[in-house]
Parts: sequence; C-alpha cells; structure tokens
Amino acid sequence: MNKTADVIIIGAGIIGAATGYYLSKKRLKVYVFEKAFPCYGSTGRCIGGIRAQYAHPLSIQVMIESIKIFSTLRDELNRDVEWYQGGYLFLAHTEEKKRTYLEAIKLQKQFGLPVEFISPEECSRIVPGLNCEDLLGGSYSPYDGQANPFAVTYGYLEGIKKHRGKIFTYTEIKKINLTGEKVSSVVTDKNEEYFAPVIVNAAGPWAKKIGELVGLSLPIEPERHESLVTEACERLFDPMIVDYRPDGCYFVQNYKTGHFIGCYTPIPNDPGDHLDASSTFLTEMPRRMVRLLPKLRHLKVLRQWAGSYEMTPDGNPIVGATPIDGFYVSAGMCGHGFMFGPALGKLLADLITEGKSSISLEEFSYNRDFSRKELMK
Amino acid sequence: MKKEIIICRCEEVTEEEIVKVIKQGYTSLNEIKRILRCGMGHCQGRSCLPVIARLISKYNRKPLSEIRFPTSRPPLKPIALGILAQYHKSLDKNRNE
Ligand SMILES: Cc1cc2nc3c(=O)[nH]c(=O)nc-3n(C[C@H](O)[C@H](O)[C@H](O)COP(=O)(O)OP(=O)(O)OC[C@H]3O[C@@H](n4cnc5c(N)ncnc54)[C@H](O)[C@@H]3O)c2cc1C
Repeated sequence: MNKTADVIIIGAGIIGAATGYYLSKKRLKVYVFEKAFPCYGSTGRCIGGIRAQYAHPLSIQVMIESIKIFSTLRDELNRDVEWYQGGYLFLAHTEEKKRTYLEAIKLQKQFGLPVEFISPEECSRIVPGLNCEDLLGGSYSPYDGQANPFAVTYGYLEGIKKHRGKIFTYTEIKKINLTGEKVSSVVTDKNEEYFAPVIVNAAGPWAKKIGELVGLSLPIEPERHESLVTEACERLFDPMIVDYRPDGCYFVQNYKTGHFIGCYTPIPNDPGDHLDASSTFLTEMPRRMVRLLPKLRHLKVLRQWAGSYEMTPDGNPIVGATPIDGFYVSAGMCGHGFMFGPALGKLLADLITEGKSSISLEEFSYNRDFSRKELMK
Repeated sequence: MKKEIIICRCEEVTEEEIVKVIKQGYTSLNEIKRILRCGMGHCQGRSCLPVIARLISKYNRKPLSEIRFPTSRPPLKPIALGILAQYHKSLDKNRNE
C-alpha cells in the first residue's frame, strides 16, 4: 500500500473528519489515523448543540459560518445529519447573568443575529411547563439548533474516502518524525511509518500528548463532563435550554427521535481524561432537569456516560500553524467542538493550502495571549 | 418477496441495514451502534448486539470471541427522572448524617 499522503490527520472526531473532508475536496490525499473508532472521543459523547450566541466576535463569526454549513450538509454529504434549527434559550436567574446576556446580545446583533432578551412569560410560551421561579428572562435565538454528531462525522469521513483518502481505525500514532524543523512522517502502534509534509493534530482531549511528540507544549487540559439520555416522547419544545446557575444544566429534545439529552458543568471542575460515569450525576442531573421542567419527571433515563471538554486557559480553541513547519493544531475546543467543527475544518483547510482563510483565525492562534475569557462558555 | 427481519427492536433496525453497513467496511459493534442506533434503545442492546456480533463474524470470517462489545451504560434498566431526583435527596441526607 502507498504510505505517502498529502496530509495526515490524527484523530477521527468531528475536527479531524471535517478538516480532512475539506482538504480532500481540494484534491489533497488525506490519511486519518484513529486510535479507536470514529467518534470514540468527545464527539461521540457530546449532546449535539449548535449556537451562534457567544460573547467573543470570532466565535460568533465562526458559528455563523458553521450554521451555514450545517444547513446545507445534507446535500453536501448526501446523508441526513439531522440538522434542526430549534433555537437556544439561555435562562437568566440573576441580574448579573441578565447583564452578561444583554451585553452579548448587543454584539450578536452587530453580526445580524436574531437574538432577543425575552420575558419569563415568553420563555414559558416557547418551553411550555418551564418553572419560572426566580427567572428574570432569557436570551433566545431561533437561529441556533442541533445535529447528530455521529451522522456528521461519519458523513465527512465517507466523503474523505470518496476523494481517495483513507481512514485507519484502531491505529494509534506513537511517534512523529521531523526532518530538520519540518514534519515528515508518523509511526503507528503497529510500527508502520506513513509520510506527509503536513500533519494535523485533531486529537481532542489527547491533543497535548500529540503536541509533546514534536516537543510542543499545548495548554489543553481535559475535564470530565457527564451526560445522559432519556427515553423518547412526543415533541415538547424546540430549543436547547441552558441554565448556567451553579447547579443548572443544559438539555435538548432530539427533534427527530424525541429523546432528551443533556449534561451540566460540574463545580468544582473534574480534571483528567478519565471517563467513568458517576452515581452523583445520575441523581443530580435528573434533579436539575425536573426542577426546570417538572413534567419530565415520568420520563425514564436510558443511559449515562462521560466525555471530555478540552479546556484552554481562555475558553477558546487553538487552531492553526505552529513553530514546527507542517504541524497544525485544531484542538482545545472547550465544549464547543462539535458546532465549531464544520467551519474550523473549512477555514483550516484554506489556511493549510492557501496560507490564509476568509475569516482570520489569528485570535485562536497557538501563541496568543490567553488572558481574555469567553463569557458564554 | 423477501421478509424484513428486524434485529434491533427498540430502534427498528433491520438485518438488511446492518449487513449493508458491515459491507461498507464497518466491522465493530461500536461503529455499527453509532451509525444505526442499534443498541441505543430501551433494552441497551441486550437482544440485538449478540445477533449483530454473529453477523459481523459471518461476513468478515472473524471469530466471535474477537468481537468487542460496547461499554454497558448505567442505569441498566430505564428509571424515571423523578425517581432518580428523589434518590438524590435521600443520598444527600445520608451524607449529612
Ligand atoms: C457531555 C458533553 C457535551 C457536549 N456538548 C456539546 C455540544 O452540545 N455542542 C458542541 O459543539 N460541543 C459539545 N461538546 C464538546 C465536543 O464534544 C468536543 O469539543 C468535540 O467533540 C471535540 O472534537 P475533536 O474532534 O476535537 O475531539 P474528539 O472527538 O475527542 O476526537 C479526537 C480523536 O482523536 C483520537 N486520538 C487521540 N490520540 C490519538 C492517537 N495518538 N492516535 C490516533 N488517534 C488518536 C481519539 O481516539 C479521538 O477519537 C460536548 C462534550 C461533552 C463531553
């Protein structure tokens, strides 16, 4: 078999799959290496939410591009990726939260997003049965939505195969070889060597370890986040509900299957790449869901699992070139990787082939100042 | 007319759909589960996954013993949110005592 490609991608999550797809569409030969199976990492463990409601201009721009792509992905990949524009509703239970949302809305409107701060009455009109106790209102955008991470990722990977590329599953990258200051090949756990002048680190929670293979220290640390899915029921409402209280949670009903899927951000955070599921979550998450929406109490939980948020110091991803010639990073997605994936894939493909992208990713660069924080993370 | 054989009853996945995916080159239960949703329903794959494992074994001439099963996820039987939420309170009480 031919062991030389134009680009080698490490990791078959949404980032590796999307980046590989847009590169292969530019007629580059792409090899994707995955230590387990596609979606083994965070992508297969996420809840599929997609939103442009951010407090950082670049994130808003990237997400407008991503939503454009999601809405045409069915035709592009010839597969139902279950994109549904059901919106996102961020609940404000404190004056401080409300102010944060109002500030963000000003910015989001500059980019033309149809976001409004709505009253508790309007919130409960959109989400019938919502518990409005202490609720001051919510930041609502019908422009946001949901899609199926498995369908999107496998769809992109099938596309890579159609364009001469190859996906190596159950194949772990153990070593990256440099020639001078330039990447030249990777070595797998089967001790096989594959060559390419460009290597993309899309290893999600393991991106730091891949960086270490070329002596690069990437500030990306995984944290455990847990999630659960309930049985299906008739459609109750459209948007993802986000409750950012310290004991809040986020969940959405899959518009197609009717399952509810959700998670919360643990306090304190839970560092490390361990993926065990806890009994605390299995009882705490239902309490938080039922508090927000008492009528869900009869719905049964089918499954719980854990995954990683790949955190950077400022809550934004690291995307682009590095001091090692030919070595690119697209990782540290901070819990937003599924939704960022399509746009970042396309932009990084442009950056790799043309040296620039239509939206500048400078602010996500490897050597930026990490002290400015994303407020809607 | 060929009869449609349902393998995953919870998610209504047929033998034909599964064989098609196996022939596309997906040969692990973990991948097939994520592509077709079989094993993601009420029974958590108790009835369908062993059958799918046999199909993979048959079409790839791979011994059954080499086929890995996906991780079993709690709760093994579906439990209502309201019941779990109450359990949380009793857990908390025990901790405080
Ligand atoms: C509970 C939960 C809910 C979430 N909800 C959302 C949401 O609603 N919306 C959203 O946008 N994001 C969400 N996220 C975040 C999102 O899942 C991640 O940011 C995203 O999936 C990251 O994608 P990735 O491709 O970078 O990483 P991954 O999907 O983790 O892919 C990396 C891959 O690299 C492989 N790999 C690692 N090391 C090697 C190696 N040495 N050799 C070969 N392969 C290797 C891994 O096996 C893995 O498959 C959520 C995450 C969690 C945990």
